[in-house]
Amino acid sequence: MRALVAEHVDTADPRRLANGWAVPDPAFSRALGAAGLIGMTWPKAYGGHERSPLERYVVLEELLAAGAPVGAHWIADRQTGALLLRYGHEDQKARWVPGMAAGEIYACIGLSEPNAGSDLASVRTTARREGEEWVIDGQKVWTTNAHHAHVMIALVRSEAGSERNAGLSQFVIPMDAPGVTVRPIIDLTGGHDFNEVFLESVRLPATALVGVEGDGWRQVTAELSLERSGPERYLSSTALVLQLIDYARVHPSESLTALVARLAAETWTLRLMSASVANKIARGEDPALEATMVKDLGNSFEQAIPELVQAAVEVDPAGPEPLGLVLGHLLQLSPSFSLRGGTREILKGIIARGLGLR
Amino acid sequence: MNEQQQMLSEMADGLFAEHGPTATVESGWPAIAEVALDGLLLAEDQGGFGGSWEEALTVFRLAGYHAIALPVVEAIVAAALARRSDGRGTVAAVTEGRIVGDRFSGTLSGIPWGGGADYVVAPAPDGGAIVVAAQAGTLDTGRNIAGEPRDRLTVQDAPVARLEGNPFALMALARVAQIAGALDATLALSVGYVNERKQFGRPLAKFQAVQQALASFACEAAAANCAAMGAAQAMSRGSAPFEIAAAKLRANRAIGTGTALAHQVHGAIGFTEEYQLHPLTRRLWAWRSEFGGDAYWSAQLGGPIVAAGSSAFWSGLTALTG
Ligand SMILES: Cc1cc2nc3c(=O)[nH]c(=O)nc-3n(C[C@H](O)[C@H](O)[C@H](O)COP(=O)(O)OP(=O)(O)OC[C@H]3O[C@@H](n4cnc5c(N)ncnc54)[C@H](O)[C@@H]3O)c2cc1C
Repeated sequence: MRALVAEHVDTADPRRLANGWAVPDPAFSRALGAAGLIGMTWPKAYGGHERSPLERYVVLEELLAAGAPVGAHWIADRQTGALLLRYGHEDQKARWVPGMAAGEIYACIGLSEPNAGSDLASVRTTARREGEEWVIDGQKVWTTNAHHAHVMIALVRSEAGSERNAGLSQFVIPMDAPGVTVRPIIDLTGGHDFNEVFLESVRLPATALVGVEGDGWRQVTAELSLERSGPERYLSSTALVLQLIDYARVHPSESLTALVARLAAETWTLRLMSASVANKIARGEDPALEATMVKDLGNSFEQAIPELVQAAVEVDPAGPEPLGLVLGHLLQLSPSFSLRGGTREILKGIIARGLGLR
Repeated sequence: MNEQQQMLSEMADGLFAEHGPTATVESGWPAIAEVALDGLLLAEDQGGFGGSWEEALTVFRLAGYHAIALPVVEAIVAAALARRSDGRGTVAAVTEGRIVGDRFSGTLSGIPWGGGADYVVAPAPDGGAIVVAAQAGTLDTGRNIAGEPRDRLTVQDAPVARLEGNPFALMALARVAQIAGALDATLALSVGYVNERKQFGRPLAKFQAVQQALASFACEAAAANCAAMGAAQAMSRGSAPFEIAAAKLRANRAIGTGTALAHQVHGAIGFTEEYQLHPLTRRLWAWRSEFGGDAYWSAQLGGPIVAAGSSAFWSGLTALTG
């Protein structure tokens, strides 16, 4: 693993090593696919490798800690492939999953809409039946990687007049289907990761329905469990911790050593917590509450790191020192860490429910 | 947990709940000694239970949960290090003085419940550990900010025996487990209180600000418990110098958030002598300093990481956690 990463990861621009699970690099994804490191737990019949979830977990950790650019295939590997394998129609599984395992087919998540952010149950995009087909109309937003993705799984309202979390279903939408338009949204760093996706009379075959009609909310809740529990939820700023360690080596001081120790202690603890969640998932349990805690603690931690480093070190966050470059980059990205995948407030609401407070 | 661990946990839970924060050695210790709980980590052929570090974690955590005012934790660690099943031992935090041959002159301080103890295990000035008879010197009594006895023993030319092991680190691990337990108890007390106390016509628990505060607390308590477990598992595999450092640092951090939020949601009642929050929070504040505060453990953990450089960071960390 470490050798593969060393061979492929370009360290020329240290900023690319930060938040690596949002950095797409199709060539790297294909190399990982060829090495059998995508879809590791999926059935061999669909291009998978039938490895254990814990083997997969160790691989993910190594990739993230090394800052590998795994953004292109990340979503397909983490949730879309698993969702299709569990609920998808045979035709759809055969069409998409083997390419995902090969690191060639990428996916995006169609949940958020202009009026449905934290309040996801208020999605308005609709699906209506016309003969043997489904017709989708509406808009998704903040869709990460829609411009690289081949396929989206969207949560839409399939029952006219239904409200809240009733009457929702999930659909597989090919991104090249007529009526799908992707428009970039540029983030505050000038980067292009997320998009608006317009869906205008997109016609889909009956097999595009994922799982049971009207069961979308239950399915999406399970999908969010996958989305929230991985090691990427605390490792986004590890590249900066590594830079800090090397800086402290050259500029020894008690306060820098103490900061390194604090960050190491937190990383060690989060790794234990995250691995314990992975273990429970591997045993078939649903540790939803613990997974939510790991995401909340992890996001707060990766978000705090840039500020802590900025306070501890005199360095220009515009560069050219590598430490400064990574710092400046993460300072600007870090507000998104407690938004993407469910905001801090929403996560704490879930935890409070688990505590018996609501 | 297997059946034996379940029984141990239930026994300790019942015993500690019964004695709690108002126990005295005179009234409470006989019950502990009767079940020989102090022999938990001692091998069976030495007269102990032959328990694992995971089992010790369970007992230490419960001692913290019930804020028990008895030297259970110290006696278990002392017996394990001294390999003794007779009498009650305790562990000093600091040793000042000199060993000449098999004689020691100096002061042992930060001794929990030194009064009435039979022997004191202490860090040796030159590494490893020593054990001294408690009767060998003069005892000055003191208390930590939670009112727990923390004494000082001054000896002149007293016989000592050398022991293997690191009493300071093992007691730090024990404190991490106690912190984890005390944080869970503090959280449970806080959740119970906000569900009962009504203001503005509804329970405090129904206010989102209160919910979010206690959710943050729950995450911190979970982190401290996980850190304690990680360090105990590492001890079971052999030794755990870096894990204990990381665990004490992490648990210490959780104390700040946890105690502040617990007091905040309790309002004025939590600030009274009568209400049972302070036996937990005052202990947490005391334990944050005991057997190494942040400054000490930061140097222990951070120094080697910086020296090894960034390329060794992740592989070192994953080697730590197995
Ligand atoms: C980098 C990035 C990538 C993303 N990628 C995707 C993607 O690929 N696909 C996708 O579908 N979505 C994606 N999202 C969207 C993300 O899921 C939403 O941003 C998130 O769910 C919050 O919705 P919102 O932005 O509309 O904020 P809002 O819901 O409007 O919230 C704004 C603020 O109000 C708070 N708030 C809202 N409701 C409550 C409440 N009940 N109680 C207390 N506070 C509340 C929120 O916590 C937040 O702080 C991405 C977002 C980011 C930043």
